[in-house]
Amino acid sequence: MISRTNYTTQQSPHFEILSENQKERIFNGMMRTLQYTGAHVHHEGARELFKKAGCKIDGITVYFPPELIQQALASAPVVTEIFPWDGDDSKKITIEKKRSYFGPGPTPPNFIDTDTLERRKYLRKDASLVARVCDALPNMGYVQSLGSISDVTNGLADVYEFADMVRNTTTPIMSWSFDRNGCRDIHHMGIAMAGSEEAFRHKPNYVFYGEPISPLVSDFHAIDKCMYCAEHRIPQVYSPCAIGGGTVPASHAGQLVVALSESMVGVIASQLINPGTCVIIGGVQSILDMRCSIYSYGAPELSLLSAALTEMVHYCNLPMYSTAGCTDTKKMDMQSAMEASLSINAAMMSGANFVHDCGYTESGLTGDIFQTVMDDELIGMARIIEQGVEVNEDTLAVDVIHNTGPGGHYLYEDHTMEHFRNHWMPTLMDRNSYEAWEEQGRKTMKDRVIEKTRDLIENHEGPINKVPAKANEEIEKILEQAEERIAQTA
Amino acid sequence: MLTLKELLITYNHKYNSIMSTYLSNISETLISGKGDELKKLIESAVNDGANPGEILNQGLLPGMDAVGQKWKDGDMFMPEVLRSAKAMSNSMDYLRPMLKEGDMGNAGTMVIGTVAGDLHDIGKDLAAMMFEGAGYKVINLGIDQPGESFVNAVKEHQPNILGMSALLTTTMPRMGEVINSLKEAGIRDQVTVIIGGAPVTEEYAGEIGADLYAPNAGSAVEITNEFLQQAQ
Ligand code: B12
Repeated sequence: MISRTNYTTQQSPHFEILSENQKERIFNGMMRTLQYTGAHVHHEGARELFKKAGCKIDGITVYFPPELIQQALASAPVVTEIFPWDGDDSKKITIEKKRSYFGPGPTPPNFIDTDTLERRKYLRKDASLVARVCDALPNMGYVQSLGSISDVTNGLADVYEFADMVRNTTTPIMSWSFDRNGCRDIHHMGIAMAGSEEAFRHKPNYVFYGEPISPLVSDFHAIDKCMYCAEHRIPQVYSPCAIGGGTVPASHAGQLVVALSESMVGVIASQLINPGTCVIIGGVQSILDMRCSIYSYGAPELSLLSAALTEMVHYCNLPMYSTAGCTDTKKMDMQSAMEASLSINAAMMSGANFVHDCGYTESGLTGDIFQTVMDDELIGMARIIEQGVEVNEDTLAVDVIHNTGPGGHYLYEDHTMEHFRNHWMPTLMDRNSYEAWEEQGRKTMKDRVIEKTRDLIENHEGPINKVPAKANEEIEKILEQAEERIAQTA
Repeated sequence: MLTLKELLITYNHKYNSIMSTYLSNISETLISGKGDELKKLIESAVNDGANPGEILNQGLLPGMDAVGQKWKDGDMFMPEVLRSAKAMSNSMDYLRPMLKEGDMGNAGTMVIGTVAGDLHDIGKDLAAMMFEGAGYKVINLGIDQPGESFVNAVKEHQPNILGMSALLTTTMPRMGEVINSLKEAGIRDQVTVIIGGAPVTEEYAGEIGADLYAPNAGSAVEITNEFLQQAQ
């Protein structure tokens, strides 16, 4: 046998959109933008921080020297882990290159009611439902709420959402907040679930999500929350929703330059405050539909831009927060399946770390857990392609081929027993014979998605009864205090 | 030898044909969104004695109508429409001082802004530009505007339209609060209030006592103009 050096048993077939030279040019575009155009930072404390680090400041505009950017990139961590609060490491997230975790998205105002299938406002009960359903879905690697709660005290949707979700799933959550207060409340709940501040620092159990504003603006709360997370070493996302042709250039390369630049402000701030703290960038990258003037969540450009930005973000040695599994349709239909299939496969092939918005419909205005359940199946399929073909002596099976010979079959082979379970098993796709399909009630994909979702809602209890009493108490106390805080400011 | 009458007729013919060429060129240049060209064209039309009211009513407005129609039909896209709208609004700035009472076209004045706590501005800016394009003078207050800034702007600019934008369910209530402040200030009746933004609905507009709701920037102008016409 020939011995092989650097022998790769399994090579994932990730695709690449950009050449080395293109990446360099986009990267340089970002450097030039941050150095000469600068970014608005509506936060005195942050500007002070940047000034001390050598940035030129003019009013609210901050200009970032290239060495500072390089320095920040050098200090960002290569690997970060997020731990399920119940200690079951099968749901642990390892943030490193080319490892993809899919999940729903945050905060649409509406939700598809799981009983009536009609659009309505997102309610508090939906947050636990989404958490519970995702808890049971094998391909949802992390969880977001798919809505912003409309039936709690104005200004506390963020805090209630986390309080309810974290107790209904052990899958790590990606949370968001209006401001530093909510950010702190959520942090304290994370600590309550971890057992202590020390335990949380050691094993963070959620990721925080915040957004700069395209083009090139960090508003007060966005950068303030970013700073809070950095101070407390909470892994965080700092990424925009860039609208091609609207808030960023209509040319894709230009969009990538702006999107990278505005995110870099958060990267630099976080690394200055706490070198080595985890910061993830990326965001929603799509185009303004110039006919309907909507931000398209089903456009093929979303997939192209997200994949290209993934390459850029990895080029910067940072983790990527990407987008897929979403649609512009209003109701579950062929379009939602088509758009989600394409974007999920592209995101998978790009090797993005977090891929959000599985379950976004109506261009981000309505969360739909049925879509999430369908996406879960699509992710499973895409994952098979991403795993590629394993080539070694065993998988080449030349001996087995020889023993079976021409004209035989492989059904009795031990080799088959060992390998057939690697084939993907559908949970929603129909592969029945016509007769079996008929016997089972001639169900369409839509019927099966609804059935599976409702079954999970009814029968998957989630970890709610495993939550330590002390954590429960603390969370309730945090909610009470949050109510008091709002009452005082009102 | 031509009689004086005959001479006048020929002259009138010539004048009319020059003018109608001007007007149709103005329409077309506006539709193609060439702002600089349009400006020159209008200036020379005025120098050649064209009536500003006619330029507006028979050149610019039919042009904008065509733009609106083309957009609806999917023959024109947002950036193209905005170029035409911008060209229209610049032309209006130039013509406005020359217009007479009855020349209409001075569709009115609009104050528009995104409410407090809300930083989304693309949709609001699109709406603002569409109103400009329809001949309105638009005062764009910007994002994150507290209630008093809307009230003060209404007092100061005396607009006939007040537009408010909110993209967040948490900031939507600010729009109702502004309407209440207008009532308290005794100036609610002076303006037609139109609201918009992705999570906003017609129903919500009704709840908070806004006059109008538009699902998108394109329809906003139409809805407003229809409403104003009916009110008259
Ligand atoms: C881009 C975007 C942002 C950008 C805004 C950049 C900018 N310069 O505006 C950034 C990144 C800053 C941002 C921030 C946030 N956003 Co945002 N954002 C969006 C997004 C993706 C697109 C909005 C957009 O520009 N659409 C394109 C324009 C053309 O459409 P439009 O605004 O709807 O406007 C049209 C009509 O509504 C109408 N219209 C609009 N205004 C007006 C006014 C009048 C008078 C009229 C007549 C018509 C009219 O005409 C327009 C053209 O046809 C939406 C999702 C969505 N699909 O809407 C979320 C969305 C609105 N954001 C949301 C959220 C939650 C946030 C944040 C809280 C996120 C966070 N955790 O930090 C922050 C809040 C910041 C703040 N305080 O405002 C949620 C709102 C959920 C809710 N419950 O209300 C949405 C729905 C996304 C989601 N699914 O979660 N966001």
